[in-house]
Amino acid sequence: MGVVGRPHGVRGLVRVHSYAAVPEDLTAYGTLTDDRGQAWTLRWRGDGIAELRDAAGQAVASREAAQALVNRRLYIPRASLPEPDQDEFYFADLIGLPVHEQGGGVLGRVLVVHDYGAGVSLEIGGEGRAPLILAFTQACFPVIDIAAGRIEAVLPDEVEVQGDLSAEGEHASSAVGGAS
Amino acid sequence: MARSVWKGPFVDGYLLNKADASRASGRNEVIKIWSRRSTILPQFVGLTFGVYNGHKFLPVQVSENMVGHKFGEFSPTRTFTGHSSDKKAKRG
Repeated sequence: MGVVGRPHGVRGLVRVHSYAAVPEDLTAYGTLTDDRGQAWTLRWRGDGIAELRDAAGQAVASREAAQALVNRRLYIPRASLPEPDQDEFYFADLIGLPVHEQGGGVLGRVLVVHDYGAGVSLEIGGEGRAPLILAFTQACFPVIDIAAGRIEAVLPDEVEVQGDLSAEGEHASSAVGGAS
Repeated sequence: MARSVWKGPFVDGYLLNKADASRASGRNEVIKIWSRRSTILPQFVGLTFGVYNGHKFLPVQVSENMVGHKFGEFSPTRTFTGHSSDKKAKRG
């Protein structure tokens, strides 16, 4: 969920890089565990600056102690995340799941979830297979069962449209009534 | 500098023809295109295009909010490595 950055000041405060969708929400998930198994409670003390307290409630007291924590990754248990709504899935749950073609064989595993503002898409691939990118729609993924670890996909038809990109394009002003 | 209004939006003509044909067919299909420069028109809303980014075809599900933008804006050409841990995907 985040990583501890450089110390801030001499009183044991540290910068924390939050990977939560809303960075401040890092405190909402309760106790954080670092990659060495130590539990930490985080309290924001400024913009990206936090105070860390260990399991006994002792705050990191000095800059030297804070320096020793640099680059520690902070995790939460999966169960701490709220249940998503219907038809919503955490990226972390989707990545790695095997994808089966409906009525066919295995297509591979979910490698990456893309979201660039034009709908979510899943990149599927596996050993020796070329990656396949499908839009994350009901039509393409009719069955998603996170508990059973199974995704079923229906491959859409692909139509290639090639034109001469060096040619002058058409102006569609007649079609849409001009730009606004 | 902005494009003159009197010219209208730029779009490669073959996309219009293909979009009309795809809409008429009503099938679950992806229209793979190389024309990142074309403006998204209202006729394209509801269709899914696979827009080439120099490496692969990224699906672009056209919605009303995207009208007036270019296809290339939704298919980044650089590798992106930073999604948040608790980010959710909604099935469209």
